[in-house]
Amino acid sequence: MSERFKKIFENKNPKTKLVSYFVGCYPTPHESFKLIKEAIENGVSILEIGYCTSEASAEGPVIKAAHDHVLKSGYSLNDTIKLIDKIRSYNKDVGILLMGYIANLYKYPIKKFVDDIKKAGADAVLVVDAPHELKEENELRDALNDNGLSLIKLAAPTTDQKRLEDIIKISSGFIYQVNVSGVTGVKSANETDVANFVKRIKKLTNIPVCSGFGIKSPEDAKKVANSGCNGVIVGSTFVKYIQDNLSAPDLTQSFGKQVKSFSEVLK
Amino acid sequence: MTKNSYKTGPDELGYYGEGDAAMGGMAVGETLMPALHELNQGFEEAIKDKKFLDEFAYYCKHYIGRPSPLYFAENLTKELGGARIFFKQEHLNHTGSHKITNSLFQVLLAKRMGKKSLICESGAGQHYSATAAVAAKFGMPLIGVMGEVDIARVNQNIIKAKHYGAKLKAVPGTLKEAITDAIKTWTTNPDFAYICGSVVSSHPFPKIVAFAQSIIGREIREQSLEQEGKLPDMIVGCVGGGSNFAGAIYDFLDEPSVSKIGVEAHETAALSNGTPGIMQGMKTYMLQTDDGAKSLGGMSLGAGITYFSVGPLHSYLKDQKAVTYSSATDKEMLEAYKIIARTEGICSALEPMAAAAEVIFRQAKNKPKDYTICLSLCGRGEKDLDTIQENIGKDFE
Repeated sequence: MSERFKKIFENKNPKTKLVSYFVGCYPTPHESFKLIKEAIENGVSILEIGYCTSEASAEGPVIKAAHDHVLKSGYSLNDTIKLIDKIRSYNKDVGILLMGYIANLYKYPIKKFVDDIKKAGADAVLVVDAPHELKEENELRDALNDNGLSLIKLAAPTTDQKRLEDIIKISSGFIYQVNVSGVTGVKSANETDVANFVKRIKKLTNIPVCSGFGIKSPEDAKKVANSGCNGVIVGSTFVKYIQDNLSAPDLTQSFGKQVKSFSEVLK
Repeated sequence: MTKNSYKTGPDELGYYGEGDAAMGGMAVGETLMPALHELNQGFEEAIKDKKFLDEFAYYCKHYIGRPSPLYFAENLTKELGGARIFFKQEHLNHTGSHKITNSLFQVLLAKRMGKKSLICESGAGQHYSATAAVAAKFGMPLIGVMGEVDIARVNQNIIKAKHYGAKLKAVPGTLKEAITDAIKTWTTNPDFAYICGSVVSSHPFPKIVAFAQSIIGREIREQSLEQEGKLPDMIVGCVGGGSNFAGAIYDFLDEPSVSKIGVEAHETAALSNGTPGIMQGMKTYMLQTDDGAKSLGGMSLGAGITYFSVGPLHSYLKDQKAVTYSSATDKEMLEAYKIIARTEGICSALEPMAAAAEVIFRQAKNKPKDYTICLSLCGRGEKDLDTIQENIGKDFE
């Protein structure tokens, strides 16, 4: 279990944490670092930093386009780990979660990956296509636990009660509660469904719950925060903002304002 | 999996083999995990239900036209002057390939499980048109996902599927992109049934598709014993994901006296040139960058075998040295097409011509005259006529 995550969720401020997703090294490692710095300054509690794979099976069109851009530019998981190292040197308090697919970790391979991200200063890993049925998930979870890091597990609207209990048993850091059945950035979250789902998880555990998928505006974020979750995850909306304003000279500053419009409502 | 048999199937988590070398598994997002467990349970129950199996057998016979003949290719045999060559005539099935047997099985299973809508992916469009036919027959709506490159080159299957009432979702690319997008489409509609077209993707699909297609091998056994008084000495089939070849060899996996050769497209020969990795739901051999970030592989004329990866059962059988895997070039496939059209009057799809090339150019000639080779002719050529005409049309003038 990551000590830093523990501290973040024990802290009363902000009331609901803003977790923001970035495609690592998008559009370049340098720009990516500038944008992430700006996000930290504007109230992000946990950075979720994506590494890229060509066959990502849960990404909608916005994040897929960013992944494709990074892969085409030749930036790898190694470059993203270097980016994390740079972020950690810049800030000691922000939580850092690496997110991606098992393809890259299997080849890295897993034990060396955990060593390297620990050195770089990451706190946790989320692997979209590694359910607990997968051998490599078990290997990764053990390695992370041995190193005081967390494996973040997903709970989906389709997850039945028995599975939810199994997932909670092996969760550490926080539980990533998926609001909709679908890929990133397409469907919108339904307030009532989110509230019921958060309640369902909270009944079973004290582990913090962060709610993600389908949160497209500060209003959405506020509504989801009212469900009683501990954090709100914003992904495609931020990536799309960056994508749409790539050539704007003041992208970094205006992105900071965009992040702030979300963090403000979560205080 | 017991040590004495290759046929006991994957374990309960979908692994073929043991320890670090195990292939397969379940590498998909949480949203689909309950659906995959439900499917596995539905499958295990269905195959113990005699009524269900009888219904499958009934439609195999009367709708598909099974068993497909095992045909002695006398002229080809004479021309090559070596082994006796038999064609397993899967191209004579309704909709023109082996795919329909799996489509029928999975649609009946979906119906039994109370599913209302279907999703499928396709490369050559054979699985799409086959699933569309069965979906029409049983009154279920279908969304098929295909790559734009393939849609352009196998137009006949697209038209047929449209007539059967299916909806097509086009994505940039080929079979690889179609498979990734089919998983996304299923994630968005987890209450649909995903009718996977090959022995690929997450557990339990490799197991289910191998089960459905294993009828091919059982027919080969019966027909070969009846016609030749013995089993074939060798079975050869093409491999993209590997469903027709898995079906042809499954019944013989524990019989080393029957040689087995799977033939991939040269440009996407995952088993010959790939390394183990985990993408698209499964651990298996695949063409990928060293860091596992990107799938690789070029383009073959055979849309159905243009696939950078391969079903995990084949990776396992390769590692166990139970089956030999090779590859064939476009040029060899086209040459094989010409020879089979000329000698036997059969217009084959290009995919099985990879297997035919292996038989014609590398296997048959030096074998004794009582040696029998069974070549799986898993699809008919109508869909490929434009491609064939474009590449070697002048050779027939």
